[in-house]
Amino acid sequence: MTGKVKNKNKKKSQAAAVWRRLKKNKMAVLGLIILAIIIFFAVFADVFFDYETLVIQQNASLKLQPPSAEHWLGTDEVGRDILARIVHGARISLPVAFATIAIATVVGGLLGAIAGYGSRRVDDVIMRVMDIFLAIPSILLSIALVSAMGTSVTNMMLAISISNIPPFARIVRSAVLTIKNEEYIEAARAIGASDKRIILKHILPNCMAPIIVQATLSIAGSILAIASLSFIGLGISPPTPEWGSMVSTGRQYFRAAWWVCAFPGLAIMLTILSLNLLGDGLRDALDPKLKN
Amino acid sequence: MEEKKQHKTALPEKEPIPSAQAPEALLDIRGLRVEYHTDEDVVYAVNGLDLTIGKGESLGLVGETGAGKTTTALSVLRLIADPPGKIMGGEIWFEGEDMLQAKPARLREIRGSKISVIFQDPMTSLNPVYSVGDQIAEVIHQHEKCSKEEGRRKAGDMLEMVGIPRARYDEYPHQFSGGMKQRVVIAMSIACSPELILADEPTTALDVTIQAQVLELMNELKEKLRTSLLLITHDLGVVAQVCDRVAIMYAGEIVESGTIAEVFDHPHHPYTIGLFGSIPSLDETAEKLKPIQGQMPDPTELPEGCAFAPRCPYATEACRTHKPEMTGVGGTQMVRCLAHQGVFESPELMEEVRHGR
Repeated sequence: MTGKVKNKNKKKSQAAAVWRRLKKNKMAVLGLIILAIIIFFAVFADVFFDYETLVIQQNASLKLQPPSAEHWLGTDEVGRDILARIVHGARISLPVAFATIAIATVVGGLLGAIAGYGSRRVDDVIMRVMDIFLAIPSILLSIALVSAMGTSVTNMMLAISISNIPPFARIVRSAVLTIKNEEYIEAARAIGASDKRIILKHILPNCMAPIIVQATLSIAGSILAIASLSFIGLGISPPTPEWGSMVSTGRQYFRAAWWVCAFPGLAIMLTILSLNLLGDGLRDALDPKLKN
Repeated sequence: MEEKKQHKTALPEKEPIPSAQAPEALLDIRGLRVEYHTDEDVVYAVNGLDLTIGKGESLGLVGETGAGKTTTALSVLRLIADPPGKIMGGEIWFEGEDMLQAKPARLREIRGSKISVIFQDPMTSLNPVYSVGDQIAEVIHQHEKCSKEEGRRKAGDMLEMVGIPRARYDEYPHQFSGGMKQRVVIAMSIACSPELILADEPTTALDVTIQAQVLELMNELKEKLRTSLLLITHDLGVVAQVCDRVAIMYAGEIVESGTIAEVFDHPHHPYTIGLFGSIPSLDETAEKLKPIQGQMPDPTELPEGCAFAPRCPYATEACRTHKPEMTGVGGTQMVRCLAHQGVFESPELMEEVRHGR
């Protein structure tokens, strides 16, 4: 970033150019704002709602209260404020979802790139292993991994990451297969670039679009996977607020008290929507051809 | 050390090469054979090709589509896609080093710094996600140790050398026209002042006025940098404009080679004569051009004798069964034709040769 100051009078740096293009996309800015608000509340959750008294402490007299001035989003089946639980829940759901997808993107992306660029044999070995993982339903795979390694947030994250790797590997591999035959890859080889450099510097930047789309889409899946695992008792244990488990417990009261289920669901939806909007904008902003 | 020794022992057993070019040959290709193996059949792309380029010399490699020109150039840098391509035999000596024995790391050192390539289509040979300046700087960083600022400055110099203002350093390939992109590609190829540039049809994808500009630029740079050039083209006009020597390629072998003056004034091989016959001339009024009849032989099953025999108007029975050898016909000019080798007499062909162009 030292170059940023230096080149200021010449041309804006690449990051600045991406930001400038992103700003032009209204929907992406909207997504960014929503996401920023969610992250802001998650970071300062303790300032707004006390964890012990509002999020954990049960109060039978307040159970299943509809939204009111006191409890903006109502209360759940044991009388806890839903807004407080959603805000604190973001502190679990968001980092875990981001981390799992980050791991899956990096590992899956690299495996896919190696499979697409490497020889037929390398490709076969990697992709058949991926096929095996794909053949097992992801929730079953996660259950198996978590029960084998023991119940903990880290193990759950690992399990969800692993089940998310194969789709990334497939997408990146197919993108690499089309890009590696481009003439500029041959040109890169002709200037003496190594295979590693060609994959990391020349091929992967050219297949960012499908990777970004897949990443933003699978964050949603990851939040739901955390919920399912928590639901069957293999993820985050009950008193800890977590969006997915809030939705699944609220389901049984849905006819009588829709808010228990609806608002955490809305929080998940808003997060995913903002990520998708931002992801779309980012994909366009990173593509220099769509500049101007 | 070992490579040096190999060179010495390998040299004498090969057939003698024309003495005029022998002393300072920069690139020396001998008996190169390249095949493409697919599931169905084997494509014989290059069949025993001999080629030399001296220091500072520029050689035009001319032939029609599918003659194996690009395969030859890519073989020099071992850039043939494998599979399906395989170099089956021959030697490629560059500055006393056999490229076919070189280790991958050594090849990477040579690529871009000592030998660089200009590809046919500038539209697709630049990476769309990097600015043009950064792409030139990448070549420099790949081969020279220098700071970011220095790389940037040098890449800017290169841009200016090919006639692009430095201010456009941070622009992306899609913001450039075809001719400008080819200038960028040329700037990339000269960034590390290579000994040899392999230009694979550098002007084919460009329109005629831009072609002229790019050729002029290449001529200028060639003189300024004293770089050797292997110019691949199917355009004899381009060769006459840029090159010192020319080699005509047909079905994976050289059929005629010599200086521009020799080959252009007195083409000896029936194929070369045919090529010149299919170019319109400014001085003569011709009702119709005389194209060469027929098609290039199928590279999966080449004829047993002379590859050109099926299309040759002077071919005899001997041509269909005997492979011709390269024969000197005066000066540095060499021809691969049985008639010139003295196997049979063809007064018509000799008449055509004497008449010249």
